[in-house]
Amino acid sequence: MNSELKLASVSDIKETPLSHRDFSPYTNNGGTTIAVAGKDFCIIGADTRMSDGYSINSRKVTKLCKLTDKCVLASSGMQADILQLQKTLKASLQMFEHNNGKQMSTPAIAQFLANQLYYRRFFPYYSFNVLGGIDEFGNGCCWSYDAVGSHERVRYTSSGTGQQLIQPLLDNQVGKTNQNVEKTLLSAQEAEDVVKDALTSAGERDIYTGDYADICRIDTTGIYFSEFELKFD
Amino acid sequence: MSIMEYNGGAVLAMVGKNCVAIASDLRFGVQAQTLSTNFSKVFPISSKCFLGLSGLATDILTLHQKLVFKNNLYKLREEREMSPRVFANMVASTLYEKRFGPFFSEPVIAGLEGPENKPYITAMDLLGAPVDAHDFVMSGTCTPAMYGMCETLYRPNLEPDDLFETISQCLLAAFDRDAITGWGAVVHILTPTGVISRKLKGRQD
Repeated sequence: MNSELKLASVSDIKETPLSHRDFSPYTNNGGTTIAVAGKDFCIIGADTRMSDGYSINSRKVTKLCKLTDKCVLASSGMQADILQLQKTLKASLQMFEHNNGKQMSTPAIAQFLANQLYYRRFFPYYSFNVLGGIDEFGNGCCWSYDAVGSHERVRYTSSGTGQQLIQPLLDNQVGKTNQNVEKTLLSAQEAEDVVKDALTSAGERDIYTGDYADICRIDTTGIYFSEFELKFD
Repeated sequence: MSIMEYNGGAVLAMVGKNCVAIASDLRFGVQAQTLSTNFSKVFPISSKCFLGLSGLATDILTLHQKLVFKNNLYKLREEREMSPRVFANMVASTLYEKRFGPFFSEPVIAGLEGPENKPYITAMDLLGAPVDAHDFVMSGTCTPAMYGMCETLYRPNLEPDDLFETISQCLLAAFDRDAITGWGAVVHILTPTGVISRKLKGRQD
């Protein structure tokens, strides 16, 4: 044979298999949400920035989702999981309405959301939710959640990348801790001002919070949306 | 477990009208165990310059001793006090000397500069990189909480009594959201006429 077939023997073949060990199914798209419940109203606010690392994907993506005439959900975390969660929630609430002839009450939605999150206990929705609204008696209420459905009804709460900045502010201004003043409930205007200040301050110091902020007031007469600008930097 | 979170603690400084305030919590602990409720992290360098140190407690004490030592030598040689800006520079150099084996402490310096007693504050990371702010600076384990509070409650040109109220509310609210900071606080207000020091009793947990 003039030309020998030079076939590599098996031992010469060294192939490293493709490694996807560093793939993470989760990412944090940032943002901050706040809710303050009063006697007969609830204020929910959230910024509208959607980021990915140090980049901004969009300046105007809402984190608020109107579930019923008396209930709004605000979610921060991974946008993909949030959209899916909100979609399935809305669908389930519609089914409830068709089957029972009435909308789900806000406390019932609070429990329902917790159950939905816990179904995914071993591959969670990367979403940090805040639910706010008024219950059947017209009282303002809000709930805070973790990613797997642990929830608590509270007077005020925040979640997202600005949570650590804002939560002590809410303690001080809404809960009136460490002050020798009467611990009265806030009026709707006062609560809205606190939420605006909180989002503005978070926008200053948290890189993932900024651009615009949505504020939503829920009371017995309906749901009122408004928007204001935060810093674009 | 981060070394900077082993002992816990926080320091905050704020600028007012012809005055500065510097404050810290009083907890000394080892991870979850609190060992003392009387460990102030703010130290006087002169009547016009105070140093606050957060982070690992042993490095707080050592750095304080080293800096007081260097300050005393300066006073003996120069026969004058070190101005806060110069002192801050010295702190930065002292930290950078240990660039590849640092002290695990992040200082905050507050003082009144020069004959006009112009308020001066600065903070540094553990390697000595300074940040010059005109409103407030802080370091410790609950900096996000303190940032949120200060950003909202701070206004420029506060009189000493108003500055005291503002810094106290910022501190106490921030400490209450951090498990390893708190057990009371100490606040020093530096004015051209003197220093007013007060202790705060917050949630004792």
